[in-house]
Amino acid sequence: MARQGWEDSEFPIVCETCLGPNPYVRMTKQKHGKECKICGRPFTIFQWCPGAGMRNKKTECCQTCAKVKNVCQTCVLDLEFGLPTQVRDTVLQTRDDVPRSNVNREFFVASVEGQLGNDSLINYAKADSTAREQLKRISRVEPYYKRNRPHICSFYVKGECKRGDECPYRHELPIDNDLSNQNIKDRYHGKNDPVAQRILNRTDRSRTLNTPEDKSITSLFLTGIEKDISEQDLRDFFYGFGEIKSINVVQKSKVAFINYATRAAAELAVSKTFNNLNIKGRTIRVQWGKARPQGPRSDLQAGIDGSGSSSYAAPMGGPPAPPSIDDLINMPPPPPPPGQGSFSYPSQDPTALGTVGGREFRA
Amino acid sequence: MPKVRRGRKAPPEGWELVEPTLQDLQAKMREAENEGHEGKRKTESLWPVFRLHHQRSRYIFDMYHRRKAISRELYDYCCKEGYADVALIAKWRKVGYEKLCCLRCIQPKDMNFGTMCICRVPKEKLQEDKIVECLHCGCRGCASGS
Repeated sequence: MARQGWEDSEFPIVCETCLGPNPYVRMTKQKHGKECKICGRPFTIFQWCPGAGMRNKKTECCQTCAKVKNVCQTCVLDLEFGLPTQVRDTVLQTRDDVPRSNVNREFFVASVEGQLGNDSLINYAKADSTAREQLKRISRVEPYYKRNRPHICSFYVKGECKRGDECPYRHELPIDNDLSNQNIKDRYHGKNDPVAQRILNRTDRSRTLNTPEDKSITSLFLTGIEKDISEQDLRDFFYGFGEIKSINVVQKSKVAFINYATRAAAELAVSKTFNNLNIKGRTIRVQWGKARPQGPRSDLQAGIDGSGSSSYAAPMGGPPAPPSIDDLINMPPPPPPPGQGSFSYPSQDPTALGTVGGREFRA
Repeated sequence: MPKVRRGRKAPPEGWELVEPTLQDLQAKMREAENEGHEGKRKTESLWPVFRLHHQRSRYIFDMYHRRKAISRELYDYCCKEGYADVALIAKWRKVGYEKLCCLRCIQPKDMNFGTMCICRVPKEKLQEDKIVECLHCGCRGCASGS
């Protein structure tokens, strides 16, 4: 068997999150243990435990593939920013020049391998500083260790895990959303990556924050207020834009409201601080506050007071009319019985049983 | 097929005392050996055999070393007949190995990092409320003390 060009490495290329919080990590190494999930060549597998209560992690793609994209060998996220390759490449405007077809890819990897050495193909220095700033803003500040948790127990999901407390897997039901369909090749090449799509959507939306029409709104809504940021800190910072009427900090949900006396002050504060606010090293997001919801209920109550009826659903007074056929058809399915909190099977979910809202049943 | 034993000597004195228990354990062992693997994990299938082996050796060990209820001849006879594991009993007589579950769990060559099995770790050094079942014999902790 020709072993020429097979990878034989001494140390993995992994990110801080994948290594875990402990600076002392024991690893096992297996030469040519598996084929790279991207290029299919044999590579050296490293395996380690990133801390108590976490699952064992191992390298998934070879070092050449990791160097070509400058990604972690385990999580395939960018090594410098911890972001999906799709996000990084769109912001830096680099092209994905790794061929997808087998022969071309093999040739590319083999030719690039010799030149690479310890460097990566992605050159951050060449990218302009605004793009780098933006990437820094999108990325997480601290490592996200929740990513190392054990996987969800598939037997528990089916409702038949017999291991109980001894089971090393997580006994939780999976959340089924657009993020649940990911695959490593697409994430590596930066195509159809739902996580990247979500991040990009978020930043696109926030890049153009439009000022609300309602001129009576003079309050800002801040998120990411950690415990060490006090009301005084916020007051000191935001006082510079104009007179502050009041500041309301909600420690529990890590948010704060700042009410300005004038609209002009609020607009100035938003334009200066939007996507660009850092107090005590914490990134704080700034948004416009919402207008006080003018409850329809209070209006109704005022109108009903004269008739003396307490039923707010009947504006004309009198007993509520019996439901018509249309009401019955459009009625949502009854809630599940109180004993069983969650569904074990999709078929147990009454909302998923083909009772679509707008369907016509009448002939 | 059972072992053919030729020219067997009669068992030493006191054999009647231990025989029913040993026969009982042997029957259980046979049952465990013949049990199917269905619905079990790969590692789980040998756990009952390890457990019964431990129990049988422990019985002889207690009778001879602790309670001194059987004679040296009978003890030797039981070891020779395979009712007790001499190597395991030798470990039990050492400090720190008083509750050892099986010999595989103290074999550093079987481990990734040249250590001993997780079941040898004292409870207070493990995470709170964490139940461990070792891979080799299903032991949930055999450290000395407490």
